[in-house]
Amino acid sequence: MYKVVTGVVGNDIHVVANRLIDISLQARGFEVFNLGVNTYLEEFIDAVVETDADVLLISSLNGEAEGWCRELQFLMAEYELKDVTFVIGGNLSVGESKDEDLVKKYQSYGFDLVFHQIELNDGLDQLEEFLGKKS
Amino acid sequence: MSKLLVDIGSTYIKISSSNGVFQKFRDFNRAILDDLTSKFADEIQRYEKDEIHICSSANGGLSTLIIGLTNSFSLKYATNIAFNSGINIIDTILYHNIENSPVAGELLDVVIIVGGIDSIGGVFDEKLFSYLSKLNYSNIVYVGSKKDREYLSENIENLVILENIITEKLKVNEEPLKEYLTNLYQQDIVGKEDIKELYTLSSNQIYSTPYIVNQSLPYIDANFEVINPFIVIDIGGATTDIHYSRDLSRDNMVIDSEYDRLVFKKLGVYKSKDSLVYAAKNNEFVYELLNVLNVTENILEEESEQATKILMQLSIFLVLCKVSIHTSLYITLNMHLLKSIVLTGGITKVLSYDEVEVIVQFFYKKILNTTAIPTILLDSNYDIWTLGMKALGEKDVD
Ligand code: B12
Repeated sequence: MYKVVTGVVGNDIHVVANRLIDISLQARGFEVFNLGVNTYLEEFIDAVVETDADVLLISSLNGEAEGWCRELQFLMAEYELKDVTFVIGGNLSVGESKDEDLVKKYQSYGFDLVFHQIELNDGLDQLEEFLGKKS
Repeated sequence: MSKLLVDIGSTYIKISSSNGVFQKFRDFNRAILDDLTSKFADEIQRYEKDEIHICSSANGGLSTLIIGLTNSFSLKYATNIAFNSGINIIDTILYHNIENSPVAGELLDVVIIVGGIDSIGGVFDEKLFSYLSKLNYSNIVYVGSKKDREYLSENIENLVILENIITEKLKVNEEPLKEYLTNLYQQDIVGKEDIKELYTLSSNQIYSTPYIVNQSLPYIDANFEVINPFIVIDIGGATTDIHYSRDLSRDNMVIDSEYDRLVFKKLGVYKSKDSLVYAAKNNEFVYELLNVLNVTENILEEESEQATKILMQLSIFLVLCKVSIHTSLYITLNMHLLKSIVLTGGITKVLSYDEVEVIVQFFYKKILNTTAIPTILLDSNYDIWTLGMKALGEKDVD
């Protein structure tokens, strides 16, 4: 069973998607560690370390994601998290922005899968596919 | 039944009897028992041994080193539990930096090792043992992942193993470690010659003062003009303690107890004055605050009544700053929700209401951008401590 750490990054308090993500992941057979809203990037990484999780799935709704997630690469390097799959989704930018540019930007921060304004179930299907290929 | 309540602090001794509350400065040239009996002889004589209840914060408490896997979980949880057990002196080491971490020279009372939920293994390795071999400690306890228990007990002598403080859902499991540390603390108090002598006056257990304050918290809003959620700030000679309602915590940490304690060991007015001044000088708002108080930074180097007042005011400000800004090492409080601030301890004898209010106003305006502030209460008659001692006394009777 895959272990997933999830939550909403930064000062973001939009909680509805977070609850749905928790339920959907469990229904798909993942073991979920939900840190809830208002979670800082370091807490996410620390949770991955404590649980030896396979996936870190961050959501961000209020448009703050970029500011928080630039640091991902530094934290990853500190703990040598090589086998973890990093996923982010929600509203990843403020205002208009081309999807491909966004995806590239977040990939450069270290995310494997980037879902800007993409339906949850579509995103989770792609995650399962990605994990299947990886193993 | 009437009772005599006694508190031995690092600067004052205070007593509470049917005649009221009295306090006197400690005389450090005398043993505690001698000092106490000579200062309050008449009062003490009026009571039987079972009517006298004593607590103490004067013995400094246990020194603890915590080695943990991450800041946000293992170290944060263990630190929180240690504070709630009355321990003041805590150092932490992040396991992945252990090879470059300083080695404590002095004798440590207890080393705590923690990391990982039960289902993960292989968290610790040789690095831990080589670090431990350089340390000098009296007790060592493991409260991490179940899977590593056997490996660690084979390699660490006299290792005490308790339940994991991190649950399978990444929440905190407080009780087993708290009970262990509280017991160690009690044994330590009893072991200290100075404190041991106090048992000639009392047949009741001697507790640590922070533990007593913590006992009173559930009753505070019923007994004072205090509205929940509140914080209690206890500014002492060596440390500054803050007790807070859990409703204020933004953390993921879910615990059963309603009130927690945090200790700022570097914010004491007498014993850790230098580090308090250092912290003040490194805070970007302090110069502006000193300006509001109509003094210059030179006051920080002075020895005067006014300088002591200013230091106490700065400690309030620094504590409020520290708990309101996110750091992964300790709890962040949502100060916008805060309804009351209660000050207790020696500070209430030094600062007036207005001198406290000006600090709280400055904090809310500068840091939180609001002019609305919580209500402020000065516990200048040690009512909180009396309440805590009584709450405990009633428990003992049951
Ligand atoms: C309700 C709401 C609020 C409530 C939140 C209550 C609460 N505690 O949850 C309140 C009023 C508090 C609020 C506040 C704010 N909000 Co608001 N809010 C909304 C609103 C109307 C609905 C959000 C919601 O719950 N939707 C239902 C859930 C199920 O959908 P969802 O959140 O979109 O999540 C879906 C997908 O995004 C996706 N998804 C989410 N995460 C992930 C992760 C992965 C991996 C995948 C695959 C998919 C995925 O799956 C979910 C299910 O399909 C949206 C607008 C909208 N219609 O979406 C704005 C919206 C999210 N808010 C917005 C803003 C700007 C704010 C504020 C900054 C406003 C302000 N100036 O004060 C504050 C920020 C507060 C804070 N600190 O975070 C903006 C964000 C703009 C942006 N990112 O570009 C939005 C989009 C409104 C807008 N169009 O401007 N908000």
